[in-house]
Amino acid sequence: MKKLLLVSLCFLVLCVTQVFAQNRTVTGTVTAKDDGLPIPGVTVKIKGASVGVPTDVNGKFSISAPENATLVFSFISYVTQEVSVSGRSVINVTLAQDNKQLTEVVVTALGISRETKSLGYSVAVVKGSEITKSRETNVVQALAGKIAGVNITQSSGTLGGGSKIVIRGATSLSSDVQPIFVIDGLIIDNSAQQLATSNSAVPQGVASIDFGNRAGDINSDDVESISVLKGAAAAALYGTLAKNGAIIITTKRGKKNGPGTIEFNSTTRFDNVLLLPKFQNEYAQGNQGTYNIANTNGWGPKISEVQDKTFPNFLGQNVKLQAYPDNIKNFFKTGHTDINSVAFSGGGESGDYRFGYTNTIQTGIIEQEKLNKNAVSFNSGKTILPGFDVRTTVNYVRTVTDGLPTQSSNFPNVLSTAVYAIPRTVDIGLLKDNYVDATGQQNTLTPARNGNNPYWLLYNNKSGAVNNRIYGNAILSYKVAPWLTLSNNIGTDIYNEYRKAVTRPGTIGALTGNFFTANIYERIINDDFLATFNHKITSDLDMKFIAGTSVYETYYQRDQEDAQTLTVDKLYNFANAAAVTTTNTSNKKRIQGVYGDLTLSYKDFLYLEATGRNDWSSTLPKSHNSYFYPSVSAGFVFTDVLPKSTWLNYGKLRASYADVGGDTNPYALDFVYTPASSVFAQYGAGSTFPFNGLLGFTGPSTIPGLDKLVSQNQNSTEFGVDLRFLNDRITLDADLYKNTTKNQILSLPLPQSTGYAAKVINAGSLTNKGLEVTLGFVPVKIPSFNWNIQFRYSGNINTVSLPAEIKQVTVQSGYSGLTVKAENGKSIGLYGVAWVRDGNGHIVIDPATGLRKTITDQRLGGISPDYTGGITNTFNYKGLTLAFTVDIRKGGVLFSNTVSTLRTNGLSEETALNRGKIFVDPGVVASGTTFIPNTVPVQSMQDYWGQYSAGNTEANTFDASYVKLREAALSYTFPSSIYKRYANFIKGLSIGVEGRNLWLIHSNVPYIDPEVNFFGSGSAGSGVEFNSMPSTRSIGFNVRLTL
Amino acid sequence: MKKKFILTFSVLTLILALPSCKKYLDINTNPNAAVTVDPKLLFSYAVTSYVDLRASGDLWIPTSLAGQAVMDGFSNPTGWSGGGLDEGEYKIDPLIYGNPWRAYYTSIGNNLKQAIKIAESATPKNNNAAAQCKVILALVYYELTTLYGDVPYTEAFNSDIAYPHFDPQQKVLLGVVATLDEALAQFDPASTVKISDYDLFYKGDIAKWKRLATSLKLRTLMTMVDKDPTQAAKIGAMINAGGLVASAADNFQVPFQDIQNKKNPKYFISEQFNGKQNFFFASKWVTNYLDPVNDPRLPKLFDLPAGQTHYIGIEQGADGDDAINPRVSTSLQTATEPETIFDYQDELFYEAEIYARGIGVAVDIVKANLLYKQAVLESCKFYGVATATATAFSASLPTYIATDLIYNIQYQHWVDLTDRGIDAFTQWRRSGPEGSEIPALTIPIGAPANGLFRRYEYPITNEINQNPNAPKAVVHYYEKQWFDL
Repeated sequence: MKKLLLVSLCFLVLCVTQVFAQNRTVTGTVTAKDDGLPIPGVTVKIKGASVGVPTDVNGKFSISAPENATLVFSFISYVTQEVSVSGRSVINVTLAQDNKQLTEVVVTALGISRETKSLGYSVAVVKGSEITKSRETNVVQALAGKIAGVNITQSSGTLGGGSKIVIRGATSLSSDVQPIFVIDGLIIDNSAQQLATSNSAVPQGVASIDFGNRAGDINSDDVESISVLKGAAAAALYGTLAKNGAIIITTKRGKKNGPGTIEFNSTTRFDNVLLLPKFQNEYAQGNQGTYNIANTNGWGPKISEVQDKTFPNFLGQNVKLQAYPDNIKNFFKTGHTDINSVAFSGGGESGDYRFGYTNTIQTGIIEQEKLNKNAVSFNSGKTILPGFDVRTTVNYVRTVTDGLPTQSSNFPNVLSTAVYAIPRTVDIGLLKDNYVDATGQQNTLTPARNGNNPYWLLYNNKSGAVNNRIYGNAILSYKVAPWLTLSNNIGTDIYNEYRKAVTRPGTIGALTGNFFTANIYERIINDDFLATFNHKITSDLDMKFIAGTSVYETYYQRDQEDAQTLTVDKLYNFANAAAVTTTNTSNKKRIQGVYGDLTLSYKDFLYLEATGRNDWSSTLPKSHNSYFYPSVSAGFVFTDVLPKSTWLNYGKLRASYADVGGDTNPYALDFVYTPASSVFAQYGAGSTFPFNGLLGFTGPSTIPGLDKLVSQNQNSTEFGVDLRFLNDRITLDADLYKNTTKNQILSLPLPQSTGYAAKVINAGSLTNKGLEVTLGFVPVKIPSFNWNIQFRYSGNINTVSLPAEIKQVTVQSGYSGLTVKAENGKSIGLYGVAWVRDGNGHIVIDPATGLRKTITDQRLGGISPDYTGGITNTFNYKGLTLAFTVDIRKGGVLFSNTVSTLRTNGLSEETALNRGKIFVDPGVVASGTTFIPNTVPVQSMQDYWGQYSAGNTEANTFDASYVKLREAALSYTFPSSIYKRYANFIKGLSIGVEGRNLWLIHSNVPYIDPEVNFFGSGSAGSGVEFNSMPSTRSIGFNVRLTL
Repeated sequence: MKKKFILTFSVLTLILALPSCKKYLDINTNPNAAVTVDPKLLFSYAVTSYVDLRASGDLWIPTSLAGQAVMDGFSNPTGWSGGGLDEGEYKIDPLIYGNPWRAYYTSIGNNLKQAIKIAESATPKNNNAAAQCKVILALVYYELTTLYGDVPYTEAFNSDIAYPHFDPQQKVLLGVVATLDEALAQFDPASTVKISDYDLFYKGDIAKWKRLATSLKLRTLMTMVDKDPTQAAKIGAMINAGGLVASAADNFQVPFQDIQNKKNPKYFISEQFNGKQNFFFASKWVTNYLDPVNDPRLPKLFDLPAGQTHYIGIEQGADGDDAINPRVSTSLQTATEPETIFDYQDELFYEAEIYARGIGVAVDIVKANLLYKQAVLESCKFYGVATATATAFSASLPTYIATDLIYNIQYQHWVDLTDRGIDAFTQWRRSGPEGSEIPALTIPIGAPANGLFRRYEYPITNEINQNPNAPKAVVHYYEKQWFDL
């Protein structure tokens, strides 16, 4: 947006050119520091003179100046630079962007550009150049650690896996917590479709494979800037859809009247496992100290004590036992990512264009895992008639994944349990080289029913998806009169995703083989019509009024096929299957809106904005499907009315109040009966219909809302300050907010004894109160060296309020007695089985066994952090920039099933202790009405660690606080003098090394990255890790060349 | 040109931006579901869920292993344990405790409730369909309470009660009886309005349904009578009134099909996890009783290892040796093996017990012996023993006097239920007060010393955590239920 502004201003400046008669002609080129591109329209003047000359479209200037003069280069939103001529006749200048420029323009709701200064609410902006430095493949993940109040968690280390973004705390007790994504005014889909890939009715959490969320399709190389609208006031014009905030993305455009440029950006990145468990290397597999090939664990004999014997290995050979300390480490490999992009852009008198192509090729940390993405984008504007502009954007993205790991549990292809449970005595190389026998059949890890060889799973049972997506829009705008502009923005986002997961015959758990396919089709159509009126009421008072209508439709369709029992090996064709079960579903939703936005500005220091919107949603009962909500905000630049201060150079107060209505999902009102494709039975054994020739229908598992449902409502207030001291050497931006979502439309989980799983009702409220602070320092600022420090802090308190008749709301059910739940007066928390404690907090031991007593349904802590923060240090020395970011999270809890698996299986380091010795758990036992110290030893350490099974939630729940080196980047922009000889050809060159997720400095959770979330990005639940693939550390090298 | 542009632009914009509001939003009807259905469609879904559950890894495997009807073979790699602790040693995943609860209350119970509602509000009123559903619903209540103990009953299945209270087991069992009475009163054999083609049990034979309902009522009273002797009079009255299951043609069962995903789950797991080898070993509690008398059911129930002449079952938690110990027969647990819920010999064993013990009737040892032998004969035939062999075998059984007779009726009844995990488990618990149950099971090797398995623990995730009115203290698997003396 800034560049657009730049171009338009260029014309103005051109009109006022004057020529000075001086004694030397100085020429040169002015380029931008961030992208090396020439800047047209820069004012070049002699210090002390009142006028100067502008640079031309190629950034070139020519000015006559005295030999000892000082030239001043100034341009809007760039730092003004003074250069002394010192007898030179050629002076090339690089201007740096002034991030703190008061006239900075941001894109707000509906693509309306506003001066930051005029806003009554906070909008965070991330520039495209920031997210393409470290080149996360998922744009959402690239925002991690960049904005106060924005919390991002990754679902897994899977390629193309999901990232969940929550702004200012979860506002919903159900699944709806994500902000909307808007690209150039088009609302796009960011769903994380979860489908069961087995014939089972219990996909709780991410169903088996992390296929990611669709915002991951956005190509970061096409992004000019991202505005994060955090509060309801900021997003009020989007209505219902933006009740969780909005991520407004503006894509890059060519420059009108700009030179044709070609930009190359190339990144090579390497990923490896951030954290591996610490394993014991003393004990073999077995049970209570006795070797057994059938056990995938570490509860067998001590390896050093049985060196006189041999035991059968997985190949049936009798071997001496030996530990392979690196067997798990060697299972994982270094992942590799190549991202290459090229963009052509330019423009003429009446239009501009930009064409971009980006190719991403990625391999994962496990063998066979691949992602390949091709993104093409086209963005062009044209003035058809005077005052009549058309802009078109088209984006096509094709993403192909394969070999994605299966996570969670209860499915034969689950990889992380298959890997982490490999006994210490198994040679991973031998396992890999011999995953099949001479006849091509699987050499299983163990002969037991859970003994699949992980390499068999990797090489044969692959899961992947192909997603073809097109999104784009056409914006027509017509300036009817100087005071009236009409515009219409129509766009669509369409994708089709084909998923396929195959299981080869011979896989334990699916010995006859099977495969699964699904076709997902999603379409969004959005149209916004706006009339913008400008009017100067008095010379000091400006008015702007926008009236608009909006039409939004989303359609989803899914066809799914599950083929069982394959006749010919490795042939995944439906006709090769003994039985194929098909299911299909679809839904449609529409919202219509009418809105208005009135902005008043007085003398450019006092601003007032009021909006109102009415929505009609197809998902609510007809009698009350219409709802209105207003917002009001004000900004006051008080330093403009105070006497000039030497220490406070800028100060602004802002305040806002907003109310946003909300609807629900399609078809949540009627009580209907659905034809069933199958019933559930454990281990995938459920029968399919027609069964014995008969069909089956089932009633709903959720009691529908019927005609009682009304819209939910969220209101929020926000106060903020923006203070800049000592000529911007110290900056402080702080917001205090409170948002309350009332009358929530909830799918209230019910105990199953009601006959239902849930009931759709209006009930409960959720309040988030918080403080966000961004504090900047510039400790050192000398001509060639600059040091910036930025501190970010965001604290949020989340409080649930429920009516008396609702005791609790389950936000998410997990496995094994664990739930994420909301209770009146508390924050959303993790609940589950806990240790019984006496009045003094000592764990109570059962004297019969020496093991701990347990109690169900106890609160184990909140799932959200108390606060998150970060520190970013940036050092600039000439063209060299070094930046690193440390992130901090304090508070909240995390349940880890990986830890449970490692401990109950006797494989992690600590389980080697005390084996074969008498071990007394230091707790207490009941003695009459009091408690005395326990003296009863556990029967074995295998029994002791058996208590850490997944069913004991507290045993595997940890404080999720951490300190992490999120990102470090070193980049160098070559001075133009280096390629001066090729100046006509090369316009900019920079190189960099960037690392992400580099170092977990402090964590309380053993063996895993605490920054994971098993529940998908569409869920309000978090705080649970369930056999996720480990997350990765990545280091990348980047070259950017502009021609 | 400019005017044309602007005119077209304006018209298009208006068309796009201002569609007719009412019709445009009137799309909230689910195109993939029906607002009304015939009750038979809900009945078939409920019944399919029910038989799948009974034969599944959530019910058949845990109740059979923990109830010691079959054994896990512990360290045998192709046994169910595969070397680790499992349901046999009372290590039961919380999901397994939760799935039957969910199935009974939601996919089975609630669909039956809906079907009853539709049937009773239909014109003409479909009394038979409602009664057919109520019989299955009574089975749901019976199995729920005998599995979990006190469960929600009076406040269950009510969309207006979010947090049902748990009812004492006695009340639930009386509710089972009341539900069956209601069904019996509602059956209308004269009417052709009923579930017939969608009745996988009896194809709409209402006379069979009435006999079944009567027998199920008798079974429920027999489960209660030791704790609540006042039920004896009702039992006596029922025996005298008759109308009970009267032949193997009345057996209440649903077949599976030899088509992928329609196979019996017992078979499915061996096919998909174990190369069609049966996971389970013969229980010594079965073989020790049957082998000495060379019971003709042995080769039907188990596959004898080559070279062996005797059926040597194992203890729970002991290693199964494929050279010595027989596994459950692959000809018994086939893809098409029907799931049996109640059968003729079940009825005969109860009747034999009633006369042997004199429950509501005078003790009649002769009659009891006759019924006992007939029950064993039916059991042999049920498991595929040729009629002549079965008849000869049952005739060869000794005629017992009182105490031995009761012991053998109970033991034979339990053995007959060896392939029906939950029913064997309930039979064992009602067979005698603690310590005197038949057979006298012992704690499995490797299981905690707390006691024998006596119930499913409450599902934490889907009930206890969701229901403020649910008991919060853990009721352990070794704690007795009300009916279990």
